[in-house]
Amino acid sequence: MMKKMQLVLVTALVTVALLACAKKDEPVVNPTVKEAPATTKNMSSADSAAAAAERERLESERLAAERLEAERAKVEAMINKIMSDEVYFDFDRSELTASAKELLTQVGDILLKEPRFTITVAGHTDARGTEDYNMTLGSKRSEKVKAFLVAYGVSSNRMETVSYGKENPKVEGQSEEAFAQNRRANFKVNIKK
Amino acid sequence: MWLHKELFAMFERMTKPFYFSFLFLFCTTVSFASIDTIDVNVGISVFKTMPIGVVPFVEDGNNFASLQEKTHDVIERDFNLSGRFTAVPSSKFDLVKFSRERAKFYVTGRLDKVAEGRVKLSCYLYASQTKDLVFGESYVVAMKDVRRTIHHFVDKVIKQLWGELGVASTQLAWVSKMDNVKQVVIADYDGFNRRQLTFDTSISMMPVWSLGNADIIFVSFRNGKSQLFQKNLSTGKEKRLFPQHAQTFSPAVNPVTGEILYAGIVDGKSDLYLGDPNTNKIQKISYSKSSQVSPAWSPYASEILFSSDRGGSPQIYVMGKDGSDVRRVTFMGRYNERASWSPEGDRIVYTSMDGGKMNVYTCAIDGSDITQLTSNAGNNEHPTWSPDGMLIAFSSDRTGSHQIYIMRKDGSNVTRITNGGDNTSPTWSWYGKNEDNTLKKEGK
Repeated sequence: MMKKMQLVLVTALVTVALLACAKKDEPVVNPTVKEAPATTKNMSSADSAAAAAERERLESERLAAERLEAERAKVEAMINKIMSDEVYFDFDRSELTASAKELLTQVGDILLKEPRFTITVAGHTDARGTEDYNMTLGSKRSEKVKAFLVAYGVSSNRMETVSYGKENPKVEGQSEEAFAQNRRANFKVNIKK
Repeated sequence: MWLHKELFAMFERMTKPFYFSFLFLFCTTVSFASIDTIDVNVGISVFKTMPIGVVPFVEDGNNFASLQEKTHDVIERDFNLSGRFTAVPSSKFDLVKFSRERAKFYVTGRLDKVAEGRVKLSCYLYASQTKDLVFGESYVVAMKDVRRTIHHFVDKVIKQLWGELGVASTQLAWVSKMDNVKQVVIADYDGFNRRQLTFDTSISMMPVWSLGNADIIFVSFRNGKSQLFQKNLSTGKEKRLFPQHAQTFSPAVNPVTGEILYAGIVDGKSDLYLGDPNTNKIQKISYSKSSQVSPAWSPYASEILFSSDRGGSPQIYVMGKDGSDVRRVTFMGRYNERASWSPEGDRIVYTSMDGGKMNVYTCAIDGSDITQLTSNAGNNEHPTWSPDGMLIAFSSDRTGSHQIYIMRKDGSNVTRITNGGDNTSPTWSWYGKNEDNTLKKEGK
């Protein structure tokens, strides 16, 4: 439920970002831009005036692009925060649990709504077992998540998988709680530039 | 009537044992089928070591305080670690003590200062009873090379008395956490003279030695995924191996050709590939619906050990070097992983997990004669053979943090070689060149 509300918020944000993208040619107010003509005027030639205008246009375009990029990064960070929920697994298992599937349908909804999003799915294991086998287990987990999302309708070329094995635990320690927290797959969202 | 009775008794005598033996046969078949009942030996010491006397070196009166350790202490440690000797230290030549302890030979030597920072190191192996010189060598070396020279001499003693190559001059690579990032380090086999090899902000792990020990092949996450790299130890040059695969790990160097077997992930499944590090040409070795990982070569590279979860949990399998003739090796327990083949070729060592705890086991190549080498001491994993097959290095968290340990191949004489920090995944180097030419010998 929470996720749904967050999704609405994100969608609104993304719309704003996309709108910002649309009104590209609106003048951008910025002190550095204002000063630019003053320095070029000293040359007092028609040529340099044209060049100054060109420079000004480029500058404002650059600033607009910068602002868009900042907006994109902000949305990306926000999306990543919302998508910070993780999919958990049972010991030595890569099958998705019921709650994992529930979460993944929400992730799938977000991805279907926003075609600009691509994701990296990272699979992790707990500290038990060898480095080597846990690398394969992590890759199986990330692949299971990807397969679920593909079945949900998300194009597979928007998803990349990576295994961290037992190398990147979320919680240190040898307790069952720590192990359970570390048997996971998580997402990194990238918004296409 | 009597005859009938007698016959009946005879029949009874004959059938009873038969009946019992049938039952017995039945029982054994059952116990064979239920694989939980395979006998396991736990840490039985089966090796006799050779006692050898160690007498402190004579020093020429100069101050040798800049030596980290007394020369005879280094020798004593080498002997005790070797799996071949038990050092019998004595402050001076003591025939009574050496006889009592059955030390038929002893070593000693002398240290002479020849110039600032340089020293003449004379090392001798004597027969205790006759005081005959069996073997002696002297070297003029820099102070910092004294330790290395002692290792060299110990290997010479092993060659003299055992007719085999020792491992005192070999090295270990392992993974050490620095500022919470896993980095690859290398050191002498006894943990001394440690050098950091990687300085990345991302994880480096799974180091192995290239044939000839010129490079370390390891896994780096610098590109966001596990990928194999090769780093030259003298030039420091690095190159990525086998970029055909986005994710590669579990490298194993062919002991004959230097080619690298590794695990590559395609569509979430890891399979084994054989790659040439010089050309980056690869070929697929394993074909199975399940995942394959942790390859290891037989001593002459004719066969390959690996782990697979085709039976539902990781177990150890063996196959020909072309991927043919796959046989399962381990049947006991639900988690047997990362096997490596002894240099003598008769046994494998592997990590097994039971009740969430990992321990080191060895067994014969056909999976029989299982011996548990570690028990009741935290997690013990990632065993690696010394090139002479006498020792096994592994990592253990028995003291609360992961450290590197060396033990004899029967599990006895466990010695910790690292202190502090977090040290895991040791791999032993190959033998170096037979003669270390960098050590200048005095005289002939």
